[in-house]
Amino acid sequence: MDRFKPEAFLPLTPVAFEILLALADGERHGYSILQEVELRSAGTVSLHAGTLYRALARLLESELIEELNDAPDRKNDDERRRYYRLTTIGIAVAKAEATRLEGLLVAARSRRLLKGVRT
Amino acid sequence: MKRPWFWLALLAYPRAFRRRFGAEMYDDFRRRPLGASETMRTLATLALNGLAERWSAVVRWSWFSTSTPHLYEPSGRHHMFFDTLRADVRHTLRLAVKTPVFTTLTILALALGIGATTAIFAVTNGVLLRSLPYRDDARLVNVWSNNTAENRPRNPISPANFLDFQKMNTTLEGLEGYFSIVTPTQLTTDSGTEVVFELFVTSNLFNMLGRSAALGRTFAAGEQAQVVVLSDGYWRRRFGADPGIVGRSLNLYGTAFQVIGVMPRDFVFPYPGMLGPSGFTRVTGIDIWMPIAFSGPMAAMSRMLTTSGEIVRTAHWWGAIGRVKPGVSVEQVEADMKRIAAQLEQAYPDSNKGWSATVVRSIDQSVGAIRPALMILLAGIAFVLIMASVNVANLLLARSIAREKELATRAALGARRSRIARQLLTESLLLALAAGVVGLLVMWWTLTALIAFAPADIPRINEVTIDWRVLLAASFTTILTGLLVGVLPAMSSATVNPHASLQDASRGSIGSGLRRRTRAALVIAEVALAVAITTGAVLLLRSFLSVTNVDPGFVTTGVLTWQMNLPQHLTNTDDRLAFYRDFFARMEALPGVVSVGGTTRVPLGSTSVSTSLQRESVPLPTAELPEVQFRRAMHNYFQAMGIPIRRGRGFEPTDVRTAPPVAVINETMARKLFATQDPIGQHIRIGSALTGPWTTIVGVIGDVRHGGLEEEPQPEMYINYLQGPPVSPFIVMRTAGDPALMAETVRAEMRRIDKNIPLFDVRTMSTLRSEAVSTRRFILLIVAAFGVLSLGLAAIGVYGVMSLIVSERTREVGVRLALGAKPSQLLAMIVRQAATLGAIGVAIGLLVALPLALLIHGQLYGIESLDPATFVSVPAVLLLISTLAALMPARKAMRIDPVEALRLE
Repeated sequence: MDRFKPEAFLPLTPVAFEILLALADGERHGYSILQEVELRSAGTVSLHAGTLYRALARLLESELIEELNDAPDRKNDDERRRYYRLTTIGIAVAKAEATRLEGLLVAARSRRLLKGVRT
Repeated sequence: MKRPWFWLALLAYPRAFRRRFGAEMYDDFRRRPLGASETMRTLATLALNGLAERWSAVVRWSWFSTSTPHLYEPSGRHHMFFDTLRADVRHTLRLAVKTPVFTTLTILALALGIGATTAIFAVTNGVLLRSLPYRDDARLVNVWSNNTAENRPRNPISPANFLDFQKMNTTLEGLEGYFSIVTPTQLTTDSGTEVVFELFVTSNLFNMLGRSAALGRTFAAGEQAQVVVLSDGYWRRRFGADPGIVGRSLNLYGTAFQVIGVMPRDFVFPYPGMLGPSGFTRVTGIDIWMPIAFSGPMAAMSRMLTTSGEIVRTAHWWGAIGRVKPGVSVEQVEADMKRIAAQLEQAYPDSNKGWSATVVRSIDQSVGAIRPALMILLAGIAFVLIMASVNVANLLLARSIAREKELATRAALGARRSRIARQLLTESLLLALAAGVVGLLVMWWTLTALIAFAPADIPRINEVTIDWRVLLAASFTTILTGLLVGVLPAMSSATVNPHASLQDASRGSIGSGLRRRTRAALVIAEVALAVAITTGAVLLLRSFLSVTNVDPGFVTTGVLTWQMNLPQHLTNTDDRLAFYRDFFARMEALPGVVSVGGTTRVPLGSTSVSTSLQRESVPLPTAELPEVQFRRAMHNYFQAMGIPIRRGRGFEPTDVRTAPPVAVINETMARKLFATQDPIGQHIRIGSALTGPWTTIVGVIGDVRHGGLEEEPQPEMYINYLQGPPVSPFIVMRTAGDPALMAETVRAEMRRIDKNIPLFDVRTMSTLRSEAVSTRRFILLIVAAFGVLSLGLAAIGVYGVMSLIVSERTREVGVRLALGAKPSQLLAMIVRQAATLGAIGVAIGLLVALPLALLIHGQLYGIESLDPATFVSVPAVLLLISTLAALMPARKAMRIDPVEALRLE
């Protein structure tokens, strides 16, 4: 079997990365991902249902995320809810993407495109 | 409430996606607080995303089919649909490669049909359906005076009447006028004088049409200053598309006119149909527009005012175009105009008695004349397309019978009827698709040829382009053809009974008697159609050849011709003669010039003028005087044109004004007017005046075809220019080399002689000769194209039906062979059957061709309508074609292995 290379997935689409970020601190269902993304970005990123689920489908297909077989708390949820969480591949890819973005930021800073020079 | 809309939007997604995420998505959607407009926008975005998902699923399926992602896993129907499609496509391609002749023939037949149909549709679209280049053109109408006494319903209007129509109407938003004639005007520049073609329009015309200038501006309402607007074509041709043109002055009518704007490229006004019946020039393309002045020197110059200074009511040379108010019909406008005309009749009985009004939609005014012809053409080509489709359907049917075993095997292995029908439909749609692509090429070529060969009098032909409507029509035609072609074989094959088909090769389930008769009728109809059309085409072709072989009476090659106007300061005859003497001497001195002459009416390239004539030997009352064509010959005219002198002499430099007046006549005039006498030395007098000198006939020249190659020569007489110099002659120049190459040398020399003499209509005689047959050539081209199509169709039709018959009769042939029939006998049997069908078709075709030939009698030249050679050769060729087309299937029948054919008995 081929050795797994998270770089093969890079760069991620912004929506895919947002989803991975939202799932980084635990499993969530679809609507909760939407809310989390909007909350984190203070409304600057607004995910549309169509975009979200298409991105979810791609992430599921490439096994960066997976669906939980049973929900963590079923108390006040109906049956429709499906929960998603990161797979180990997903975590590795999210890390790789964050590293890639950091590299870009360093480059941008060194060319004085951003404040707070670190080099 | 929102729920159904949501699920409707969700339908845009692939089924698998919908099943997996639909409930979740609805849940999210439900939770969002959204207003009505936001909801609609969200749903629209949702649906668009769905289509994008569908598209990317197709793309991934096509490129990465082996690693189908698990959302669309093989068990899903989504996968099934495309998997089946792919299998069917592959199967079709394999089959196509295995049977190249069949595939090529089928695609070609359909491509010809689709291509020709869409090409004709493109012409119809460009000429009839596309809107005129004006805002909301459906509301534009042309208003004419109706001369009820002489039954001329579309007579131009007089300016004063126009102004009254403009003021008094209640049904139009605006009515604007223009001169219904194109005026050739002299433009004087530093480098010389040239001719521009201008149209006078009322100042608000452009605004009323709803068009503004591409550069600068159009006339302001009421503007009567000395300003002009240029057409795009003239601006590019004459000023090299100089963007700094606006604000420059042009010297017209001896004063400066300021250029204020350039119209957009697509703007045309007027269309030739909007012009009046008479004019100064055959040109209809406009170089510049100028506002009509109602007072001042320009008004006087364009004869707008009577001697007492009023606007003219008696002379009719205006056109008028108006915009109908919303909700008002053309009939109401006409009633309105008739009411005004009646009032004017009362108010001005002297000038307006018998003048009513006519209102015509502008689109009809522009292209109405050609509509019936185009519609017939479109119907004809659609008919041909249907024939082609039915032909191909027959071919496919023949093949599906040959493939019965294959299809039965599929059925036996569990394929449902719908599955088999779908496979066959996929095949025919793929064939149609390929044909559609090739058909686009066919359309392109056909269109290019049509536009290139179209005579100039077909309106808007240069506006014909391939736009979205044409492409839509092409796709629609392609798909319709695919379905039309595929339905019959698909249906008959879906009824295959696998048990019967596999157990023995029983026939009869498909080729029922009715269907067989239908097919025979089809072949007969195709052959008959081919005979009729080809006969017409051959008659036209032979006519065309005889017309082009007509001896026009002069040598058309190696001659350059142009028209020019003498400068206006040369007012007396001596000055003009001095000018001509110098002119001809300098033209003859140019290198490569053989001889130069001139005339007042150049053959094939101008109008004609006639005069009544008195003969000294045959005195007649004025009313009975014969009319003869009248021209002047200049310098070495007969020599330069290659017109032979049959008797007597041509003109000599000694035939001057002080010498006795002389004339040269043509052979027809000698024959008709001096049948029994020797024309040489006869005395004639031009016109009907009873006094004046007699002119002596000194020579007879060969007949020249003036009006057209098909026109019989008329009595014609020439006088010498030295005895009466013309002011705007046509010059002819015979050159040693290519006359077209002399044009620039001539222009340069003319500028040296006098830069203010404009040359126009500079053409070679060969061009004039070719233009003289352009309409004939166009009709021939179209009919010939139909003829070739119908011949091809007939051949394919016979081939297809005979293949079908051979397929159906395989077993019978096997039995015959087994019983000792010789293969050659079988060949004869099949061919005889085809020949019989062909013969019936030919007979019916001849019956159709006879009245058709009489119908096109007016287009024929040099042959009889019932030309025996044509009426024998065309049927013979058709018989030969139908026999040959049967040969291939017949040979197949010969090769049938009796053992194989009978094995399943």
